Amino acid sequence: MKAWLKFLPSIINKSIISDTMKLYDIDFNILKANITPRGGKMLVDISGPQESESISFMEEKGIEVTPVLKVVKKDSEKCFECGACVSLCPVNAIGIMDNWDIDIDDQKCIGCGFCISSCPTRAISLME
Amino acid sequence: MKTIEEINQKIKEGEAVVVTAAEMTQIVQQKGSKTAAQEIDVVTTGTFGAMCSSGAFLNFGHSDPPVKMTKTYLNGVEAYSGLAAVDSYLGATQINQNPDIGLDYGGAHVIEDLIRGKEVELIAEAYGTDCYPLKKIKTYITLDNINQATMINPRNCYQNYAVAVNSTEETLYTYMGTLLPNYGNVTYSSAGELSPLINDPYLETLGVGSRIFLCGTEGYIIGEGTQHFTEADRHKGVPVTPSGTLMLKGDLKKMNPDYVRGGTMPRYGPTLYVGAGVPIPILNEEIALRTAISDEDIKCRIFDYGVPRRSRPVVKETNYKELKSGKIEINGMEVPTSPLSSYKRAALVAEELKKWIEKGDFFLSSPVKMLPNQGQIVKPLNISKPSKMVKDIESKPVIITHPTDPVKEVALKLVENNINHLPVVDSNGRLAGIVTSWDIADAVARGKTKLEEVMTRKVIIAREDESVDIIARRIDKHNISGLPIVDKDSKVKGMITAEDISRLIGKNK
Repeated sequence: MKAWLKFLPSIINKSIISDTMKLYDIDFNILKANITPRGGKMLVDISGPQESESISFMEEKGIEVTPVLKVVKKDSEKCFECGACVSLCPVNAIGIMDNWDIDIDDQKCIGCGFCISSCPTRAISLME
Repeated sequence: MKTIEEINQKIKEGEAVVVTAAEMTQIVQQKGSKTAAQEIDVVTTGTFGAMCSSGAFLNFGHSDPPVKMTKTYLNGVEAYSGLAAVDSYLGATQINQNPDIGLDYGGAHVIEDLIRGKEVELIAEAYGTDCYPLKKIKTYITLDNINQATMINPRNCYQNYAVAVNSTEETLYTYMGTLLPNYGNVTYSSAGELSPLINDPYLETLGVGSRIFLCGTEGYIIGEGTQHFTEADRHKGVPVTPSGTLMLKGDLKKMNPDYVRGGTMPRYGPTLYVGAGVPIPILNEEIALRTAISDEDIKCRIFDYGVPRRSRPVVKETNYKELKSGKIEINGMEVPTSPLSSYKRAALVAEELKKWIEKGDFFLSSPVKMLPNQGQIVKPLNISKPSKMVKDIESKPVIITHPTDPVKEVALKLVENNINHLPVVDSNGRLAGIVTSWDIADAVARGKTKLEEVMTRKVIIAREDESVDIIARRIDKHNISGLPIVDKDSKVKGMITAEDISRLIGKNK
């Protein structure tokens, strides 16, 4: 699952992430991270049989875990397949198909919304 | 050898062989240019890109009592009305009068709404004359109830175009779309092998009066476009940088919204996406060979849009095959690419034009005058008062501080020198941060004593060879009041502040 992890300044010195990985043997892929002495946020993709246990553990240790539930959708009436959004997607979720259609992969999309503001016809919006 | 008349006769008899430029590339590869020239009569091209230099002349008709419109607004977008009484020209990039709408709905959007048959609000202001007494009108128009609506685009269908990248550390919002920092993405605009003028690189078959596909209806080339340029470097005949352009005309009333679209380049402004296709008569083998150009053979250059100057540095040369693959290598990194024009719609334009010709609904026309194909250069605009450079600002002694300095000492330095900003440098004399009088106030309020705890580490900087106008834009964009001037080795050379710039403007009056 994809989720935002929020770190308060009080826990940034603790090695919670590596403890979680060691304890629950999960795949832990960092998609985005911005952590400073004042705390921070990390966007991650966690997978493995003990996924939910690992999340409970992180929450116990003080990390605020918010699963990513939103993805972007395009309005095919407004979209004319210019492709301006394609190279802006941080997780390569937007691609150009062989027939030159623009396709958004829900599995990859993290709902960051960067493509929304970049679309010349405002054809992309956030959906639950 | 064929003539346009012979081709038109074949179109009339339903026997003309028409292929798209993409198909022609394959045909010539398989059969050779000699056979292709004999078999193929017309090659259709297409493009569907952002063409900012577009707009429409509108004639609203006369009201009773009549009005001599001096200012007109369509859905809040101003059209130029300094012609006669009820004519105006609506430009695609004109932004909305309402600051809350601004860039989101401009001239291009009004053009699209008119073509879609929507009702558009017209407000006109006038000064009133004996023959045109009315001073203000407000009404609604549709494309059907006005006399003429003629699209005239001064510069469309650029023969090849620049490719954009951004070397700076901040995201840039440009007419080439959103450019991510540190070479984060690459954007390109040309349709490559389908693009009209790339298939006739020496402009041997088109000219004034050539009938074309424009936004879903027939249109005409009415001359070379503005900034028409013929002297670019060429590869296999095709210019590698932006070159020839077309001035186009078409009837807005007959246009199809599938082939024209209003849009907004984020934080840049409105633009019109124009679908245009030019039919190229295959009169001889040479022309056949030129229309067979492939994406791989169409070279183009990637420019650094992080340098806001007229001549932007070239980062590297590439081609459309590589660009269309979705990624490109720059400085050892794989960088994703974005087309800004719709290749899907460009292909639809070429297909649609092909159908029209095959059905006998569209005939080719011989140009009444060819377009210039040599000796055309683009002149720069020289500013009578040259832009001041950062190094021209009166130099003051460089006052600096160090990360380990106590806050109290820094406060004293600010007061004694009557300044508000202090660059912080490390032991090697390189810029490490900046501290303002506000930061010092903050430190006192929160009881912090070390400069390290309050200084800003991510510093917006100025370079000596940058124009002061660029710095003013940077100050505005980042909502700051001063920038350290830094050389290429990160050594601090001074400070430039909003006050310095105000003073400079004051003196220059």
